Amino acid sequence: MASEVSNTPTQRAVENLAWKLRRRQIVGSRATALETLLVLRHVISKSRFSNMEQLVTIIRGVGRRLVEAQPKEHSVGNTVRKVLHHIREEYHTATRGSAAASYSGFSISKFVLLGQPRKNTPLPKAESKGTLKENDPDDPDSFARSLKPVLMEAIQDVLDELETVYDNVSKNAQNHIHSDEIILTLGMSKTVEAFLISAAHHRNYTVMVLETAPSYGGRDMAQALSAAGISTFLVPDSSLYGLMSRVNKVILGAHAILANGGMFAITGSLLAATAAHAHSTPVVVCAGQFKLTPLWNLYHEYGALDFGDPSQVLGFEEGSLVDKVDVVNPFYDYVQPNLIDAFITNDGDHPPSSIYRLIKETYDDEDNEL
Amino acid sequence: MNIWATYQRKLEDEQISPPLAAILSLVDLCATSTAGTMFELVKALNEGSDSLKQHSPNPISINAGCELFIAFVTLFPHDSASFSDLKMELVKQGETYVRQALTYRRKIGELAVDFIKDDSVILTHSYSRVVMETLLLAHRSKRISVFVTEARPRGLGVKTAQALTAAGIPCTVILDSAVAYAMDKVDLVLVGSEAVVESGGLINAVGSLNIAIIAKSSHKPFYALAESYKFHRLFPLSQYDLPSHNPRILSFPPPIEQDNILGHPSSAVGSEVPSSRITQEEIAKNNPDVDYTRPDLISLVFSDIGSLTPGGVSAYLVGMFAG
Repeated sequence: MASEVSNTPTQRAVENLAWKLRRRQIVGSRATALETLLVLRHVISKSRFSNMEQLVTIIRGVGRRLVEAQPKEHSVGNTVRKVLHHIREEYHTATRGSAAASYSGFSISKFVLLGQPRKNTPLPKAESKGTLKENDPDDPDSFARSLKPVLMEAIQDVLDELETVYDNVSKNAQNHIHSDEIILTLGMSKTVEAFLISAAHHRNYTVMVLETAPSYGGRDMAQALSAAGISTFLVPDSSLYGLMSRVNKVILGAHAILANGGMFAITGSLLAATAAHAHSTPVVVCAGQFKLTPLWNLYHEYGALDFGDPSQVLGFEEGSLVDKVDVVNPFYDYVQPNLIDAFITNDGDHPPSSIYRLIKETYDDEDNEL
Repeated sequence: MNIWATYQRKLEDEQISPPLAAILSLVDLCATSTAGTMFELVKALNEGSDSLKQHSPNPISINAGCELFIAFVTLFPHDSASFSDLKMELVKQGETYVRQALTYRRKIGELAVDFIKDDSVILTHSYSRVVMETLLLAHRSKRISVFVTEARPRGLGVKTAQALTAAGIPCTVILDSAVAYAMDKVDLVLVGSEAVVESGGLINAVGSLNIAIIAKSSHKPFYALAESYKFHRLFPLSQYDLPSHNPRILSFPPPIEQDNILGHPSSAVGSEVPSSRITQEEIAKNNPDVDYTRPDLISLVFSDIGSLTPGGVSAYLVGMFAG
């Protein structure tokens, strides 16, 4: 009776999203994260469970289904992991009263893992939350009934975080961009756009936007920035290296941030980061924390990237050529951690070397493989 | 009791590494101790650990184990009715930990195997139990081949090669001086460790530093494997800050009588031969057993508490020993 996501509306919602992901009707990390969260909320509110394990199994099942539908959209898996983490947290606070055994359970391995024991351990609260009863044979729904409100709250928190992500990333924009600086960016990233526009309220500066072939997201970006009153130059990709000596800072967006501090980002990012490295120009990445992915891409495996539509590179109008050449259009670059100076996230600025720590705090280790 | 003899006895078990043997010796000391107060007990433990360190030619890994156990004893929150109860409890804790710690190599192996891709060529150094465990585990699911350095002066690389060949892993022993020659064929470097220090650097059999520098210059990942009881609160700034360093290492021999050679060139040749014969033992005597690898040369440290960047090690050490 546990893992029944089979009640039709729920199942339909999950399948619906899976297909949308598969058909690329939803793209972009934030959009997919939001959709995933809405589906998860639906699943949790509709499903029946009488203990924690059942709930976790249900959510994992949904998560696996969605991740398999589109493994390159890492934020889907990240959202599921985050929700699981929050659920466990809520569950632990709700059951704290009965399980205050952390004191007597001190051992050397815990000492290594958690450090010195807290001197002033708060005394276990006398009021035990008797309402939370798992596997109640008389009333199997009582567990779900008492836990659901807090779970909904937890999901709402994640949702709020996603909705305010642009504001929070660009909160400190004026501290990162100074007057009369020349900033280089590329591709169309909503986060970077919000960041640059927010800085423009306080500073006068110039942005150079690379066209970013073959998707030409840079053109949209340039339009958006100049509409916001920023002095903007749209430059061809090939002039990147020549311009770099005049650039003060490179600001990039990310598709996914990996545990080793590297990232997947729109093609051209690696080129820009390498050129910046050669000129010792700082490279700053703006991204929400929902892009943190517990994944290490150490060997830069080719297949780890997503591939775009080859017709953008070589269209069918070149008919005679099409069957003579293989055209690949990798959509993302993998940028190594040593090329990145800082990540500006919705929760503070972090160097690449501490990303793995953030990931450890944000997700539970057991969920890395859904 | 003779703590050094106890330590030696514990070490006879193939699975027990020096820090664990040190912890077990201190546990025995704790069990037999007549101390009636915490102060006396900690004093006895400190004396025990000092005596261990004095007997051992290379106190680094013993030190790591002793410091961990003593810090644990001093911080152990207890509500025992009598002091002997507390001692019993500490003994139990120590033994439980060692039992748990024996599973750590397996855990580390499982972590590290994910970082080894199929068809990899791995370079390893000397002999390390945790590296062996990892390689054997990787061999089950992936095709790997291994270069192992001879690792003079102890020559333990041969032991690694024998064990790996017996398990069916293609393995070649290379000279320590041939590491740079081999590096282009290598996909990743995997080394064990004597201790991982607070900077995130690594103390390991001499030659590790050479390998790390060469790996860095050819952009190959250099992974260290270390059980968490090898985390050691030490911050060496150079090779000569290691506790294993002594004036004999790298010392120059006293000069040979010069006028003898100048005065009678013909007879000098004859007399020089016996005095300047250089044997392997003599070389080893003036050379270090371990060296210190800087954290910037290390890609990741795999430990039972997760895969850490070198900086992450210090966070755990600060958690245990600071404040």
